[in-house]
Amino acid sequence: MATPRVEPLAREVPIDEVRSRLEAILEISNDGILVVSLDGTILAWNRAAEQIYGYRADQIVGKPLTTLVPPDRLHELSEIYPGVARGGVIDQFETVRVRRDGVHIEVSLSIMPIRDRNGRVTSALIIMRDITAAQLALQEAAQSSEKLSDRERMLKRALVALRESHERAKSAQLQLVQAAKLESIGRLAAGVAHEVKNPLAVILFAVDYLAESIPNPDGNIQVALTDAREAVGRADSVIRGLLDFSTATELSPSEQDVNKLVRRSLQLVRHSLTKSHVFAVEEMEEGLPSAMLDRNKIEQVFVNLMINAIDAMPTGGTLIVRTRRDRLTVMGSDVGVRKTDRFQVGQSVIVVEIEDTGTGIDETARPRLFDPFFTTKPPGKGTGLGLAVCKTIVALHGGTIRIGNKEGGGGARATVVLHGIRSKEGQSDGEGAGPTRR
Amino acid sequence: MEKVRVLLVDDEPSFTRMLKLNLEKRGFTVMVENNGAYAYTVAQDFMPDFIFLDVIMPDVDGGEVAAKLRRDPNFKDTPIVFLTAGVSREATKAKGNIIGGQQYLAKPVTVDEVVATIEKVMKKKTKATPASPRG
Repeated sequence: MATPRVEPLAREVPIDEVRSRLEAILEISNDGILVVSLDGTILAWNRAAEQIYGYRADQIVGKPLTTLVPPDRLHELSEIYPGVARGGVIDQFETVRVRRDGVHIEVSLSIMPIRDRNGRVTSALIIMRDITAAQLALQEAAQSSEKLSDRERMLKRALVALRESHERAKSAQLQLVQAAKLESIGRLAAGVAHEVKNPLAVILFAVDYLAESIPNPDGNIQVALTDAREAVGRADSVIRGLLDFSTATELSPSEQDVNKLVRRSLQLVRHSLTKSHVFAVEEMEEGLPSAMLDRNKIEQVFVNLMINAIDAMPTGGTLIVRTRRDRLTVMGSDVGVRKTDRFQVGQSVIVVEIEDTGTGIDETARPRLFDPFFTTKPPGKGTGLGLAVCKTIVALHGGTIRIGNKEGGGGARATVVLHGIRSKEGQSDGEGAGPTRR
Repeated sequence: MEKVRVLLVDDEPSFTRMLKLNLEKRGFTVMVENNGAYAYTVAQDFMPDFIFLDVIMPDVDGGEVAAKLRRDPNFKDTPIVFLTAGVSREATKAKGNIIGGQQYLAKPVTVDEVVATIEKVMKKKTKATPASPRG
């Protein structure tokens, strides 16, 4: 603290008046003011000091300053006062002192030397302020601030939890809607199947009977019989699709080699490949982890995707079937770090890709590809249930399926991502994922 | 060789009529019953070698008819194949045409498939019980 500037007293002011002025300042001050001799004896004591410490002037003047200092703070005296005696000033030193009733109070002290006419330090002036209330307020403010920070953190956590819960609720709602759709389609399918399959069976038997009963059918009769048989087949495939779609929720998973399933599916579509002049190319990564899959249902998915690819190349082309192991490194709509995410970041997965060299998919059709009864095939060729069934089956296995055009064009690519359970060396990939029986 | 006697139990008269015509043309002796409730009585009279049972029928369904037939020692070993309109043919292939230990065919089915099923099952039965005469 800088030494306060005091106007030089006019010579003509009498000494009594000066004393009176000083005493007035001492008495009116809200800060405790005391004067201490260099040996530590209290020499002067104002009204504010009396209020702070509880001692009247006649009770404390002449007593040692240590009366006001708690035992554990006595060392401060030897640290502070020698400096003051040498002319040093202490500004707003915060410490603890003892009231007359023994209560400890927090005070802020400013100390400056008092000099005689020759400039020699004779005593020290101490101005003290009770800061207990201020300190308490500060502590309370700090505690409030801490509480506020805690609440803010809690609110942030609650917000995150709320968002997650909202996401889960949204996803559960979508699943419920999908389940309700499946259930109603299932009920519809069972009813339609029974009502339609019987008449279809009658028509088929009648056609068979006519075919055997007409001794030498001419060409037109043969065409009529063949058309009737094919019409029954088409109607049956719609019903079959409906039934498959509605029963896609039942899985019988077992440990499977994905490459084997893909190769067997290729065998099943060999006839279609030959008929459409489509050449098949296998790009299989060997040593893939095995997977918990319902063999028949996953084969149904692969066959469906292969048939779609072949149908997209009516004048011939190349069907590329690729399998590989992939490690997921980028977060996405199905990849995250939460347990509820379909795949975890860092997880190793099995990827199956089925590509064609056809004209690709119309961008306007892409969002609806997996909708039941949506088809881009000519009438009588597709039921519009194939991809809907595929999606349901893959989703039940905890996997994903997406279809899009190849980068740079020149055909479409269907990508199926499945959980692997074990590497060929018998080491667990640690995902612990896979389908659950439903 | 004696003709194989086939009992068709299905509540759809046009279905049984058409299948009967076809099977008779292929040399089988066929009896038809369109009411599940009478199937057992008809079987007692007809003593079939082979029975086709519709699964879903009003009043008495195929399962109940089969249970009643199996309780009778006369039909303990008589082959029963269910005909169902409630299962897809894909599922039929996948499950080896057997659900709950019972063999079945999914409608619509061709006459060739029906005949092949009869022949296959009869052949298996003959191998299993070579000395057991019919009826």
